[in-house]
Amino acid sequence: MLEKSSQAMPPEKSPSSPAIAVEMFGVGASFGEFEILREVSAQVPKGRQTIIIGPNGGGKSTLIHCLLGQIPYEGRIVFDPPRPRIGYVPQRSDFDRYLPLTANEFLALGLTRRPIWLGLSGVIRRRVKAALDLVKAGALGGKPLGGLSGGETQKVLLASALLTDPDILVLDEPATGVDVYGEQLLCELLEGFKSCFTVIMVSHDLATARAHGDWVICLNRRVVEQGPPEKIFQPATLSATFGLHQGLIFGSHQTEPEVAPAPPSCCH
Amino acid sequence: MLSLETVYDLLSVVYEPMFMRRAMVGLFLLSLAVSGAGALAISRRMAFFPDTVGHSALAGLALGLVVGLDPRIAVILFGVALGLFIVFLTRRAKISSDTSLALVFSGAVALGLALISRNPRNAAGLTRWLMGDILTLGDTEILALFGLDVLAFAIFAFHYNRLILSSVFPTGLVGRAWVDYLFGVFLAVVSVLAVQAVGVLLATALLVTPAATGRILAKTGGSFFWLALLFSIVSGQLGLWISFQPGINASAGATVVLTGLAFLALACLYRRLVGRV
Repeated sequence: MLEKSSQAMPPEKSPSSPAIAVEMFGVGASFGEFEILREVSAQVPKGRQTIIIGPNGGGKSTLIHCLLGQIPYEGRIVFDPPRPRIGYVPQRSDFDRYLPLTANEFLALGLTRRPIWLGLSGVIRRRVKAALDLVKAGALGGKPLGGLSGGETQKVLLASALLTDPDILVLDEPATGVDVYGEQLLCELLEGFKSCFTVIMVSHDLATARAHGDWVICLNRRVVEQGPPEKIFQPATLSATFGLHQGLIFGSHQTEPEVAPAPPSCCH
Repeated sequence: MLSLETVYDLLSVVYEPMFMRRAMVGLFLLSLAVSGAGALAISRRMAFFPDTVGHSALAGLALGLVVGLDPRIAVILFGVALGLFIVFLTRRAKISSDTSLALVFSGAVALGLALISRNPRNAAGLTRWLMGDILTLGDTEILALFGLDVLAFAIFAFHYNRLILSSVFPTGLVGRAWVDYLFGVFLAVVSVLAVQAVGVLLATALLVTPAATGRILAKTGGSFFWLALLFSIVSGQLGLWISFQPGINASAGATVVLTGLAFLALACLYRRLVGRV
């Protein structure tokens, strides 16, 4: 299966356009003696939205940490451009919610060396405001970071990632802890960003993957399959990725050749 | 150029005894450095760090005596090494920072006591090291505190944002390793110099209490820094003044600590009555 998946061709890989943003060759990662990823070889098409799906413990977040260079790994990861700017939205922001810090200040922290205790300059304020407006969160700038809801926090983190002017935007389960309305907004925003840069998103939501992904990587410690959604959403692929549980849901009594999960809430 | 003597002359309108004028200047200089360092320390959940490194002064002092190194230099070097070791333990050994601090604290104190106990004559002056005495500050200590302020404000000016960012967003792409080690070294130097000047009790209290008070009252990151600085200076100077009053006549260091805690209690009360918004 691994060999098969590594031969899959991303949608834009044609002789005229070398359109691979990230290519992984035999990536492996372990925590102590526990092997999380084994021989992961996959491709991420440039300028498209790639969604990594898989069961809990399947190594999705670990693969993201490998891409970000935050943990040691075996194998090779090749980027185009070679040193891309990567914007990152983490799965969960486990920060001190009582720390006095406004969303504006948080966004300014990564933009300027001028310490926040000297106040934010006009230029920085305008850049921060523009980023917040981009994610439809212009009103959140003056609010304390710890007082934001889950959806608001994700939008501020997304604005923070966008401020890096990324070549690649990486989102690790961005809809975690977000209500239906917040998820809908997030999906709309990501749809709008598709043409701007490469998006890599980890998701456990198959409906979101099918509705918004251009390229899907099924990961369960190794790459089970990768390809466009219509290729991935087959009973056999989902059973192989998620095991018996998903097979029961989609596979055992499925007569259609392709599995069609219910559209996500954002598509209603 | 403004000399220390000129400053002391100017302060003669506040205190007559020279030791009080020196204490006033020393506390002011110390407040400048420790308030921001304390704000960063509690933001990064390292409030116990100054206490741990401060107590390591004992082992540094003993090691200096054993190897024949100037005790002041030995204490700083040992404190910095210990600060780096704590950061290393936290990062690499997957031990939480409070566990690392407790381990290093007990180890450093035990090492210091073991070395000192080999020659009881070395124990002379240990009380001053641990408890300190703000009223015995000399010009050398005051100049060292001025140097500490220069270092501290260089860090605050160039790295404050990065240090706060890595505490808020530890999984972010902010080159966390060197930020952690830089802060470990900085906080170790601040702690050791503060301990040398005023003792462990006052140094730890000055680092943590004003920052905690500022944090309770502040609504923004900017005001957090300034409120920590304000409470550091005010509680230091007010505590010193109270301790000097004829009816009080208490230990200056202890009174400064109690004054800081009184401000903290008032801040809690205010926040409870008024609310954060």
